[in-house]
Amino acid sequence: MNLEPVIGIEVHCELKTKTKMFSSAPVSFNAVPNSLVQPLDLALPGTLPRVNKRAVEMALLASKALNMEIDNELVFDRKNYFYTDLAKGFQITQDKRPIGRNGYLEIEADGSYKKIRINRLHMEEDTAKQTHFDDYTLIDYNRSGNPLIEIVSGPDIRSAKEACKYIENLRATLLYLGVSDVKMEEGSMRCDINISIKEKGSSVLGTKTEIKNLNSISNVEKAIEYEIERQSKLLQAGKKIIQETRRFDEESKTTVTMRVKNDSLNYKYFREPNIAPIKLSDEYIDQVLSDMPLLPVELNKIYTTKYNLSAYDSEQLLLNKEISDFFNECVKIINEPKLITNFILGDVLAFLNKRGLPISECNLTPNKLADLIKSLVSNAISSKQAKIVLNELLESDKSVEQIIKEKGLVQISDENEIRTLVNIVLSDNKNAVKDYLGGKTNILGFLVGQVMKLSKGKANPELANTLILEEINKLN
Amino acid sequence: MSYLNKSLIDIIEALKNKQVSAKELVEESLLLANKYSKYNPFVTILGDTKVNSEAPLYGVPYALKDNFSTKDILTTGSSNILKDYIPVFDATVVEKLKESGATLIGKTVLDELAMGGTGVSGHTGRVYNPYDPSLNTISGGSSAGSAVAVALGIVPFAIGSDTGDSVRKPAAHCGIVGIKPTYGRISRYGLFPFATSIDHVAYFTRTVRDSAFLLSLLEGSDNKDATASTREGHNYLKDLNTDVKGKKIAVISEIVDCISEPSILSSLDNAISIYKEGGATVERVSVDLNLLRAILPVYMIISCSEATSNNAGLDGINFTSREEGNDFEEVMINSRSKGLGKSVKNRLVLGAYCLDNENIENVFIKAQKVRSLITETINNIFKDYDAILLPASADAAPTFDTLSDRMSDECIIGENHLAIANLGGFPSLTLPYGFKGNLPLGVNLTCKAFDEQTLFNLSAYLESKLPYENMIAKEEEK
Repeated sequence: MNLEPVIGIEVHCELKTKTKMFSSAPVSFNAVPNSLVQPLDLALPGTLPRVNKRAVEMALLASKALNMEIDNELVFDRKNYFYTDLAKGFQITQDKRPIGRNGYLEIEADGSYKKIRINRLHMEEDTAKQTHFDDYTLIDYNRSGNPLIEIVSGPDIRSAKEACKYIENLRATLLYLGVSDVKMEEGSMRCDINISIKEKGSSVLGTKTEIKNLNSISNVEKAIEYEIERQSKLLQAGKKIIQETRRFDEESKTTVTMRVKNDSLNYKYFREPNIAPIKLSDEYIDQVLSDMPLLPVELNKIYTTKYNLSAYDSEQLLLNKEISDFFNECVKIINEPKLITNFILGDVLAFLNKRGLPISECNLTPNKLADLIKSLVSNAISSKQAKIVLNELLESDKSVEQIIKEKGLVQISDENEIRTLVNIVLSDNKNAVKDYLGGKTNILGFLVGQVMKLSKGKANPELANTLILEEINKLN
Repeated sequence: MSYLNKSLIDIIEALKNKQVSAKELVEESLLLANKYSKYNPFVTILGDTKVNSEAPLYGVPYALKDNFSTKDILTTGSSNILKDYIPVFDATVVEKLKESGATLIGKTVLDELAMGGTGVSGHTGRVYNPYDPSLNTISGGSSAGSAVAVALGIVPFAIGSDTGDSVRKPAAHCGIVGIKPTYGRISRYGLFPFATSIDHVAYFTRTVRDSAFLLSLLEGSDNKDATASTREGHNYLKDLNTDVKGKKIAVISEIVDCISEPSILSSLDNAISIYKEGGATVERVSVDLNLLRAILPVYMIISCSEATSNNAGLDGINFTSREEGNDFEEVMINSRSKGLGKSVKNRLVLGAYCLDNENIENVFIKAQKVRSLITETINNIFKDYDAILLPASADAAPTFDTLSDRMSDECIIGENHLAIANLGGFPSLTLPYGFKGNLPLGVNLTCKAFDEQTLFNLSAYLESKLPYENMIAKEEEK
């Protein structure tokens, strides 16, 4: 049998709003349990939902970024079921009318591009967070009512690698949109994988399983690889796949049965009667979408074509949104993309990695880096001096000007001054001059070094180089 | 001298002229509340609360149905599952009445979670009709205690809620004025939800003028309720006009024709004559009998379905009374089994059935379509008429031990047509218009959405021609 997997991914993503989807309680990760709770989040009788406008705008941005058709009417439904993490006994979600439908996300797989269809993007509210102990359970309602978007892909993914690419791209897209923190380990992005195996070329789908509890992309990869193997072996042995929900077990790196899925899941969906359908005018949608930030794909194009950065450098900058934001800010101030990139990807990143800091928390600002680059390109300091200044910028909160002054790092670029120094060096090093004239041209570096030494490092080395040649040629 | 037998507007006047103090009024109200305890209108009787002397209702005592959230005051919904629930916030109407200076003297009994029309299923026991001191007659419900407190003169007004007819029916049975304004006129924030799309904040007074006066205080948009109307408020009392000349009133033939009780029919004829004398036209209109027969099932399907969902949070987990169990499912099942009464359980099961994946298209969705049809039919009547006039019930309040023939049109249509106003969101008012023996009878007027002014005008005219304004049920002195 020639088998291939069919994979679809459901992603739940917590929106980065200030307040909850339907209540005014603040949204925050890691706050004291049950400290961010309004009566609605506990479902106290008589409380009513109010739609968070910012959440709607974020869902619109995400729909647009994923090339989706946008529903111009906002309609919510109730999904009814009893569970301890669901205070109201129902979840407000969008069943029949998701805000976005029929989109796609492009991924690069094996050197070519592939479109993964996205069937729907809908808005809903999160449940409370439970912590289970042996004989009791604690419930934290801080998460109850947090705004979520759920993004459901089509069954277009064919390998663990493609799945990871899809999640990475989706993650970067949502991150650059600024709509979510998309941290899988903190649960602000959660992936459920639907996977089945079919015969290659056949249009008949196999029985699928759903895998939950995936808190990193590498676990997604491991879980899918394991599940493909597990299902393939069963099929090749002539056995049947059971439709079920499985959980990724981190210790054994396998998937284990969580619950056997019952086909008759009965959520009693009906229109949420507390929220009349809200018309989204074309003007409103256009205005929201006009604030659309640039996405990684678009930035990559700008970096590599307009700024002439290498593909590698561009990718490195885009790996981290904060770094790319920092770069964009710098370029706005001083149009030296290559120099900026070299500084950032070199000494700056090395410093941040060593300290384990995000760039937002170090002393360096785009303005300071731009000042430094200005000093460098105007030859006020040498590149060697620039390194010293940068180091100081990262360590202290001093300005570029202050550091240059304190360290006496002014570069001498006055021709007469350097020529005087060159003549002193040439007369002090007659043997070297002789060697040079005798053909040992590589001794030039030594002579430049002597000029630098004499100037206590302040001479412009390029100028010194030129003037040494001029003076030596006079001796010839 | 007693002042609580006066209308709300007269009480406010007496307070203004310092004929009576706020303290005296509240004391008298509390005295009466205790005196009439045999009719069982209250879940909780309160002491005095702080009042704002600049406010329009300063010193006026009122009662509140126990399904409105009151901060720091027990609010039970007349259900065992909420018997110890003390809310942390005030309903918007409660907030408005607080700001208006009114004094809450008690929380009143309702049919459990507002599901019922008799006043018998509250967890603190039956409520009794004040016009029957032998305690054999129902008050009507679900806003039973509020109706009784107003009818007995304990308070000049009381707040209730109306999902099918829960204010307008007990108003008819207790001889007082009950109004359910247009859907969205008064914020529902803080009202325990029964059936969201047809729940209305509603209230009782003993005069139409009081009813008009109060709506101006209670109405208005609310950023806590997305369904609250943003229309500007009115001074309904100031604009009250009892000249009915040229007004057109419709009477639905098929509803009247299924009623056989002579006292009801003669009271209706009398009301029709009064309108005609005033220069109004009163005409019979016809509505498809099958559509009228569909009102009750449509109401039951929609209300029970929404109730199933709305009450799913009463699960023994975070704020309701809890019964222990071995796992969470057992805790929920035990808490709900013990905490909810039979009638509520029946409705919740019916609602779950209507919403079940297998049935939703054929039951719930179909009911929504018929609801639209009913609303459209009534709106068509409003194209030609200013109001619809109908008996609020097919008979006077029944005794606890009589059950009417529930499958007859007299019951299915005659006792349930008031739900039309809930399904369509129309403003609708009941006022007394006669007696059957010692029991009062009520007539109902319904107008098109947001036309409360016409509703008050037509009601005030009828009231002025009948001897039932500010009627109080008096205990016979022994």
